[in-house]
Amino acid sequence: MTRGGRWVYVALVGIVVVSAFPLYWSVVVSSKDTSAIGSYPPPLVPGGNLWDNLSAAFEQGNFGVALTNSLLVAGTITVSVVLTSTLAGFAFAKLPFRGRGALFGLVVATMLVPTQLAIIPLYVMITQWFGWANDLRGVIVPALVTAFGVFFMRQFLSSAMPTELIEAGRVDGATTWRIYWNVVLPVARPGAAVLGLLTFITYWNDLFWPLILLNTENPTVQVAIANTASGIEVDYSLVLAGTVIATFPMLIVFLLLGRQIIGGIMQGAVKG
Amino acid sequence: MTRSILRGAPPARDRRRPAAPPASPHTGRRQVWRSRLYRLDVKGSPYLYVAPFFLLFGVFGLFPLAYTALISTTAWSPRRPGSEDISVGLDNYRNLLHDDNFWNALINTVGIGLVSTGPQLFLALGIAHLLNYRLRGRLFLRMGVLVPYVTSVAAAALIFNQMFARDFGLLNWLLQPFVDSPIDWRASKLASWTAVSVMVTWHWTGYNALIYLAAMQTVPYDLYESAAIDGASRWRQFWAITIPSIRPTIIFTVIVSTVGALQLFAEPFLFDTTRNHNGGADRQFQTVVLYLYQQFWTNGRYGYAAAIAWALFLITVVIVLVNFLLARRIRGSDD
Amino acid sequence: MRRTHATIGLLAAGALVLAACSKNDTSSGGNPAGPVTLTINVFGDNFSLPGNRSIYEEYEKAHPNVKIAENRSDFGTHHQNLQARLTAGSGTADLEVIEVGQIAGYIGQTDKFVNFLGEGVDAGQWTPAIVQRASTSDHKTLIGLPTDTGGLAMCYRTDLFAAAGLPTKRDEVSALWKSWQDYLDTGSRFLQKAPKNVKWFDAGGHVFTGILGNDKETYYNDKGDLIVESNPAVKAAWDQTVKAIKSGQSAALAEFSPEWNTGFQQGQFATVTCPAWMMGYIKSNAAATAGKWDIATIPGGSGNWGGSYVTVPKQGKNIKAAVELAKWLTAPEQNVKLFKVIGNFPSQKSTWSQPDVADFKSDFFSNAPAGKIFPASLANAPAQVVGPQSGVIGNTFSTALNSVEQGTDPNTAWQKAIADIKAAAGTG
Repeated sequence: MTRGGRWVYVALVGIVVVSAFPLYWSVVVSSKDTSAIGSYPPPLVPGGNLWDNLSAAFEQGNFGVALTNSLLVAGTITVSVVLTSTLAGFAFAKLPFRGRGALFGLVVATMLVPTQLAIIPLYVMITQWFGWANDLRGVIVPALVTAFGVFFMRQFLSSAMPTELIEAGRVDGATTWRIYWNVVLPVARPGAAVLGLLTFITYWNDLFWPLILLNTENPTVQVAIANTASGIEVDYSLVLAGTVIATFPMLIVFLLLGRQIIGGIMQGAVKG
Repeated sequence: MTRSILRGAPPARDRRRPAAPPASPHTGRRQVWRSRLYRLDVKGSPYLYVAPFFLLFGVFGLFPLAYTALISTTAWSPRRPGSEDISVGLDNYRNLLHDDNFWNALINTVGIGLVSTGPQLFLALGIAHLLNYRLRGRLFLRMGVLVPYVTSVAAAALIFNQMFARDFGLLNWLLQPFVDSPIDWRASKLASWTAVSVMVTWHWTGYNALIYLAAMQTVPYDLYESAAIDGASRWRQFWAITIPSIRPTIIFTVIVSTVGALQLFAEPFLFDTTRNHNGGADRQFQTVVLYLYQQFWTNGRYGYAAAIAWALFLITVVIVLVNFLLARRIRGSDD
Repeated sequence: MRRTHATIGLLAAGALVLAACSKNDTSSGGNPAGPVTLTINVFGDNFSLPGNRSIYEEYEKAHPNVKIAENRSDFGTHHQNLQARLTAGSGTADLEVIEVGQIAGYIGQTDKFVNFLGEGVDAGQWTPAIVQRASTSDHKTLIGLPTDTGGLAMCYRTDLFAAAGLPTKRDEVSALWKSWQDYLDTGSRFLQKAPKNVKWFDAGGHVFTGILGNDKETYYNDKGDLIVESNPAVKAAWDQTVKAIKSGQSAALAEFSPEWNTGFQQGQFATVTCPAWMMGYIKSNAAATAGKWDIATIPGGSGNWGGSYVTVPKQGKNIKAAVELAKWLTAPEQNVKLFKVIGNFPSQKSTWSQPDVADFKSDFFSNAPAGKIFPASLANAPAQVVGPQSGVIGNTFSTALNSVEQGTDPNTAWQKAIADIKAAAGTG
């Protein structure tokens, strides 16, 4: 692709500043005290309490356990979603089979169901039938395969995966699995990488379901943040310190793996 | 076309045979067995590959769905003992049709959806295009646009509440020279829809931009080269090459964003600082899911809330179908 | 091939870890003599501070076979989870704390809670007003033991009063508003000479709630019927508040929001209905206003805002031990300890005459005799009749008043509120 000119940089940097400002502001407030959130004019420069608030929030929210749990939850779900979505997406996009259209329609239809609809019966199921109250499995297992992932990979592969390559593989007598492994996966990689990244973030930030299933002995990071927000009188600097603790591991993951995930996309681009 | 490949498979195997080990008395049976396996593979693998999704959904999705449908025919409220056994048939749905608050919530949802979804997707498309350039600090910029999605909802809520505060908010402070009195961003439909849309757009644009970017990177570079040689401007290249090539992804984001807009909950909930699920003192920005939450959690009306959820589901199906047919129609007219 | 192995290995490892992380069974089958871990769910500093669980440690020392594990969540989550888990039949803690505004919704589910009246608890330790809220109307079932309470007074800014030409000494100020109408009339007087942009009170909803705090029957009568429309006291309170709002007395701020905090810091209102815990709230959110506050009595003489109850859900596995702990936590001695360590005002009547409580003062509030003012507001409070949706109805009115503050026509707002209340409290 062509080189970006000056205005491209200006626009993008501006967008990044707007995107990152709230995060910066949460660092500012968590480096002061709770009255900072209501003070006027709003504080824009960090204060000195950052370390105190971070350690206080870390302890109160049980963040050590929370970070490990969130890593486990988000990590397992991401791996599973990427694998199953690429497989199913490939099938829906490139493999002919009876009922393909109807089944795919069904997949999309399940996405239309508001998740809040099912909270009580799902909770009953998970806690009584499976006995997973306050257990990470109750958070992980229902999310192992997502309609979003299947839909996304199917769309991605239907335009990125040239059918001729698959047919060539067939002509060579390869089994479907070999075609998937050798032909489809390399092409799917950029899409799978983005799906993995977004899925990880989604389930790292997932609030609603873990909040009802888990308690503060076995929390994920969002549950831990809710813990710091407890009380009639909320210490906002503590809450925001909690959100800083919850967010920065992800940014570190970006920096470490980002090059693998996003930077390597150019190799996946199909030439001619 | 594929069927001919399937039918043609056995001859293909014949073509390969010279490279196989010398014929033995058993090769004949192995041939048949292999080709049967092959056919099984081609016919059966797709079902195997899509099975995990339906299995999981069958277990965790179907039962809650059916159960909620059942609840919607009762007058169940946990605060009134025995009410789960009171069956009211379709009364909840009938009441819903006459419920001004429900229709208000629907109007809010559609209004906010229109104001937030369109601009957001165009913005995302533009940002993805910019990110597609060869840039220094490319990784930083690409991750930078995703920061809103990474930012905790709690943090974002506090910041936007500060920005849109009536008396001492940042935005009103900036607008001071242009308006008579500070805007109460929560008091009117227009102002609150704008504020909520800003929050939604801020949160989701980077997300969609990354999805578009991934798709854009699969477009072969030579297409752009030959178009440039033919004299096409960059703008023309964008519209004539990039957009059509990533059409499936665009359809995907349109449908997903539509569903997301219909199910919008977090931003309107957080924008109301009273946290009472009312979507503003006069329901100015109460979306359908927020109304559902209010009936379910605040008022404890499980039966009625279940009916709202099912009504939303049916409405979503209709709208997505319309969306999809429109997209098909547009594609048809292009061909 | 390596990738397949790696992937499978990862999944297998994941599965193993998941199996290992399975739920810890912390119950011992209800044997009071064996070691037991009691879980207690709270929504704030009900019994502990983030770094200080001394109250639990004291109990654990006296009962070596008992360990206490506290779970904190935020207010909304805590109550939502409680209801969901009660309905689902599993997942509640051994002890659950319920706030006073929420507990009315659980009176219809008394079969899910232990009845303390059958456990040798003397309900006379607390005022009828406080005990009533956690009891059935026939007084035969008590599902929650009161922990702390709020009482109600009127905190005011002496500097803003002085600027507007009002008296500032608390006895004189208390004499200004024997009734709520007097209070609102004083508000008009205040506005005549008030500093720019300073209003009389923070939110109409607080005035409305305060006015109704002196009535026995507000939204329900003791037969359990909904009387919101027919009760003249409700409409009168509404009209009074609306008049004050229309004359510009309200700062129209949502309680507990950052804007409310800003309001305290910036002095946007001169008075605020003030339960005991509000003192700590103002101190931490508006430290710069130290010494500018004082406390006068509440118009009408009685009221309450805040307070909680400890309940024991019947689905727990350690009922006997949980009941023992609940009784201990809410005993007078512990009430006083919690007051000294955390600042939660005790609900036990016997504690109000003890020096630790009665002599409580704070120079942030000009050394007002807080320890005497708050019990006085509780001692004569009427035992109000509540129904399953009392909390919802109160919130609906507060929201409607907020709508009036934003400019909605009061009659429209009233009609809408009544319609919403009838839908929520009806049989649908």
